Amino acid sequence: MSPLLSVENLRIAFPSRQGPVEVVRGVSFSLGRERLGIVGESGSGKSQTGRAILGLTPVSGTATADRLEFDGVDLRTASTRQWRKLRGARMSMVMQDPKFSLNPVMTIGRQLMEAVKLHGGKSEAHDKSIAMLEAVQIRDPERVMAAYPHELSGGMGQRAMIAMMLVTEPDLLIADEPTSALDVTVQIEVLRILDRLVTERGMGLIFISHDLRLVSTFCDRVLVMYAGRVVEELDARRMNEATHPYTRGLLNCLPTITGDSRPLPVLARDDAWLE
Amino acid sequence: MAFIDIEDLEVTFEGSGRQVRALKGVSLAVGEEESFGIVGESGSGKSTVLRALCGLAPVTSGRISIGGEPVQAPRDPAFYRRVQMVFQDPYASLHPRHTVDRVLSEPLAIHGFDRAEERVEQALEDVGLGAGFRFRYPHQLSGGQRQRVAIARALILEPKIILLDEPTSALDASIQAEVLNLLDRLRAERGLTYVLVSHDLAVVSHMCDRLVVMQGGEVVEQLTREALQAHATTEDYTRNLLTASEGFTRDPALQR
Ligand SMILES: Nc1ncnc2c1ncn2[C@@H]1O[C@H](COP(=O)(O)OP(=O)(O)O)[C@@H](O)[C@H]1O
Ligand SMILES: Nc1ncnc2c1ncn2[C@@H]1O[C@H](COP(=O)(O)OP(=O)(O)O)[C@@H](O)[C@H]1O
Ligand SMILES: [Mg+2]
Ligand SMILES: [Mg+2]
Repeated sequence: MSPLLSVENLRIAFPSRQGPVEVVRGVSFSLGRERLGIVGESGSGKSQTGRAILGLTPVSGTATADRLEFDGVDLRTASTRQWRKLRGARMSMVMQDPKFSLNPVMTIGRQLMEAVKLHGGKSEAHDKSIAMLEAVQIRDPERVMAAYPHELSGGMGQRAMIAMMLVTEPDLLIADEPTSALDVTVQIEVLRILDRLVTERGMGLIFISHDLRLVSTFCDRVLVMYAGRVVEELDARRMNEATHPYTRGLLNCLPTITGDSRPLPVLARDDAWLE
Repeated sequence: MAFIDIEDLEVTFEGSGRQVRALKGVSLAVGEEESFGIVGESGSGKSTVLRALCGLAPVTSGRISIGGEPVQAPRDPAFYRRVQMVFQDPYASLHPRHTVDRVLSEPLAIHGFDRAEERVEQALEDVGLGAGFRFRYPHQLSGGQRQRVAIARALILEPKIILLDEPTSALDASIQAEVLNLLDRLRAERGLTYVLVSHDLAVVSHMCDRLVVMQGGEVVEQLTREALQAHATTEDYTRNLLTASEGFTRDPALQR
């Protein structure tokens, strides 16, 4: 079976005074109907990788790839019409910061219902929207429906956005730190929803996170990014077999409830990791 | 009597015709040179406890004393020489147009400390930055470096108590480890007392000898680190928090 998504040698550059700077430097992977985690520290290029797949690289940047294919469609040459059919309906992204991806002048309810309608569910739009808000553990869905994005807390906004992505039931969901603003117990509930979409509906999920512990317990496979490159790819159940010193460093520097290493091992960076 | 003693603290915020009872009778006692943790989910009232200690929350009833003496309202300068606070967001807590030097010199001037230059350089040394950082602006610093500056600012008045509100929540894991190690070392060297607030149970367990779990403005349970490590909790809420903190567990029915 051919993969849902293939990425080969993805490169993203931004201009700077010293000339173009590559922030993603030759990332390759393929994705089936599975949970793929991308971890790495801030600035390592996770978000830009996710955005490039959806053709959402900022205008100042340039993304190139030897291959960028979603379900047989070459995304590098996709027309506006093709993108319109793909984005939202078949490929979706939950952004790290809901402030930038919810429409500030439209109530959550209207945005949700429009997303449902786009997916061809006119009559049940209201009920389905409420159901989705309940699914992401929003206790007061009617109030949230009537609210504008700025009236919601970070965690609420993020949940509303996840609900928005889920109503369209995409084939590929790129979730960029979708649970970072949420409390741990709610975070687990949201992951359960995503998990069900993968196992029951065969969705492909790219789960971007800085939280190695969460990713290793949730995903099937993990890409570890450092300075724009994938330095290691691992089976999530075999995180403790990681060999790259960066991955090992990341694993070891986390405090644990049961452990008692003091001081915590810190990460000693090596310029060789940049090569 | 404990070093920091909080009894039956009630805080109610009023705004736009709505009342929020943020603290509903919170009591806790922190020993001298102890590192004490407060965990709980967002909105549970953790920051409000710290703010109330500093006189920055509308306390409606209850008592706060430090070193056996009730705190003065409003807090006097002597209070801030003893108690300092470090906030979560290193981006918001430093003035964007003030150099590190100014950030660190101002409290010294306000409190009439001598040898300002020497103290600033020493404080930067103490947090592992070095004097080379003195004339930098916040935008020239990484998140971890900013948090070190915030810690240096808290230390410069030589306080006995530092209130830490999610001090590493905005930092990458590797930087978090460095900042936690720094805080650990400083406490040991100077005999500081910490009250550390975090939503991250692992951070609190690593840093604190004892902790309370808060929910909805109340303390639901108090535990020692050992009890937490042994999962010796009597409250379902704490147990849920503990389970969730250990990562995702797949519903066996959904295993492929
Ligand atoms: N619009 C932009 N212009 C210039 N540089 C950018 C832009 N967006 C992101 N970058 C840079 O690209 C790098 C990767 O960013 P990002 O993918 O957001 O990292 P991550 O999501 O892993 O934290 C960072 O160094 C960031 O500063
Ligand atoms: N200045 C304020 N005005 C109104 N309500 C507030 C204010 N500060 C905090 N609250 C409310 O008090 C409760 C506790 O908040 P907080 O102590 O910040 O929680 P935590 O730090 O545990 O996330 C929340 O319901 C919050 O919305
Ligand atoms: Mg990002
Ligand atoms: Mg808080």
